[in-house]
Amino acid sequence: MIVSSLFSYVLVAMLLFSIGLLGVIARKNIFVIYMSIELMFNAINLLFVALAQYRHSYDGQIFAVVIIATAAAEAAVFLALIVVLFRRKKSLDADVLRALSQKEAA
Amino acid sequence: MIAFGCVALGAVLLMLLSAMPKVRMEHCSLFAFVTLLIGLILTLASFGELFTFFPLPKFFHKMVIVDSYSVYFDAIILSGALVTSLIGTHYFQAKRHFKKEFFSLFLFSVSGMMLLVHASELLSAFIALEIASLSLYVMIGFQKVHDKRVEASFQYLVLGSLAGIFFLLGSAFVYAGLGTTILGEMGNRLDTLMGKDVSLVTIGATLILATFLFKISAFPFQNWTIDVYDGSSLPVSAFMAATFKVAIFGFILRLMLVDFDPIRDTWDTLFIVVIIATLLYGSFLAIIQKSLKRMLAASSIVHTGYLLIAFVSIGYAGESAASSIIYYLVAYFLSAMGAFGLISYIAADEHVRVTYEDFRGFAHVHPYMAAMLSVFMLSLAGIPSTIGFVGKFYIFTGAIEAGYTFLAVCGVVATFVSVYYYFKLIALMYFYPACDSDWKDVPSLKGITPLTIGLIAVAIIWGGIGNTFIAYFPGVDFLIDTARLSYMSLFIK
Repeated sequence: MIVSSLFSYVLVAMLLFSIGLLGVIARKNIFVIYMSIELMFNAINLLFVALAQYRHSYDGQIFAVVIIATAAAEAAVFLALIVVLFRRKKSLDADVLRALSQKEAA
Repeated sequence: MIAFGCVALGAVLLMLLSAMPKVRMEHCSLFAFVTLLIGLILTLASFGELFTFFPLPKFFHKMVIVDSYSVYFDAIILSGALVTSLIGTHYFQAKRHFKKEFFSLFLFSVSGMMLLVHASELLSAFIALEIASLSLYVMIGFQKVHDKRVEASFQYLVLGSLAGIFFLLGSAFVYAGLGTTILGEMGNRLDTLMGKDVSLVTIGATLILATFLFKISAFPFQNWTIDVYDGSSLPVSAFMAATFKVAIFGFILRLMLVDFDPIRDTWDTLFIVVIIATLLYGSFLAIIQKSLKRMLAASSIVHTGYLLIAFVSIGYAGESAASSIIYYLVAYFLSAMGAFGLISYIAADEHVRVTYEDFRGFAHVHPYMAAMLSVFMLSLAGIPSTIGFVGKFYIFTGAIEAGYTFLAVCGVVATFVSVYYYFKLIALMYFYPACDSDWKDVPSLKGITPLTIGLIAVAIIWGGIGNTFIAYFPGVDFLIDTARLSYMSLFIK
């Protein structure tokens, strides 16, 4: 059946990954950027779990569990930084981050 | 491995200690220093021997490895961290934005880097990479009163997470193609697959490689470097430039030499393009900078280019090229650490004095500091009688041995160009009268920080002329021999 084939899982995972990548590149809101990165992490989890099922080994599932834990740690740093940025700038727009632009640095 | 345990334990202990109100920042700094020193002594105990084993196989299976190679890198990373904590002391005390937790994060970052060179599995490498990077993100943004710091931290966080995700995607592809992610076993399975279609593995390995090109700031991924180095405080930039790069190279060299050896030819052209672009663009960026800190950041891109030259020559002149990379990492680490450290010492007060113009006539007021700064610049430019020259010499020799004469020529040309932006500083310091700006803000040469920087300057000259004066004292030959030994330990089965 098509539902249980590896191909469909890989397809969904790659679709999620592409959506996430597009979100990081195209969106201006730093919160949406963060969410897109989480989406990519989860796409890779899906990929690993599907591959583990396909290969009948547990390695891929362990990978997925570890990725979930690391993504949680990264979420802590991300959310803390978003709070700091919002407090300072009163905006979530990535365009207001200009302190490091080449012109003013010189 | 005991050294790693010591540093990790120290990090956790320090985290708990910093919650106590009685403990002050100076204590934490001292604690971090002592932990790193113990780690370094433990590492040096097994330095220079040939061995390899998997520690605690019941718990870790084959996820971590201890061999002469990783011990060599441990020693570099630990001494880098030690030097950072020494040259940072003055800066941390002057700035007062650094709280106690900073040192705990610092130790966590060091332990992550050490785990990275010990990693023998893509998964443990990922964990190590994340430990090291996550602590670095926080360390960069630690002074949250400065917009620059927070923005640099955010920029690095977004791009670094993206790089981490590409590493994971690459390992997923490798896992799909080979069914294992253990280093060594991947190589064996790849050998049995030779002659068949291995494009899945090639794609995966390329993605992993892209992650590392990002972390070492090679050409298509170099844009974050200048901004992040500029945005972070000087000791942190020094730590990033010198130590993190070493750890990354430690892992990627192992991966390339042990596992992806059969498919390495695929990337030859790619690497040549990346190297030439890195050298060109890095030199261009370094020339146009007015701030000394940004110039050092840009020149670190150029140094990545030199290292990559040795990296491609590995295929044809394995031993000499690999050991030249390891040696150059030591050379670059010393010179960059010295330069960043001295500038951070000079700029410790709030009047940030880091553009070229600010150093006009500096030598007439502070001759010793100017002399040390000149030594670091000479070494970064690769002038004979400094360690930087020996490092570059080995890299270009390796490239010519491997048949990449063209790349060696490109490297030499980039070196010539680099003389411009390094010597501009020396010329400004010595050949102009002192300007009227008050130099009183520059702290006098007292305390542990200038002593460390002075020692680094001596070590740089010692590394360049070494062994000729006192026989049987560790110098260039010793370092090169140990680098060869650590290279050999990768292939003990």
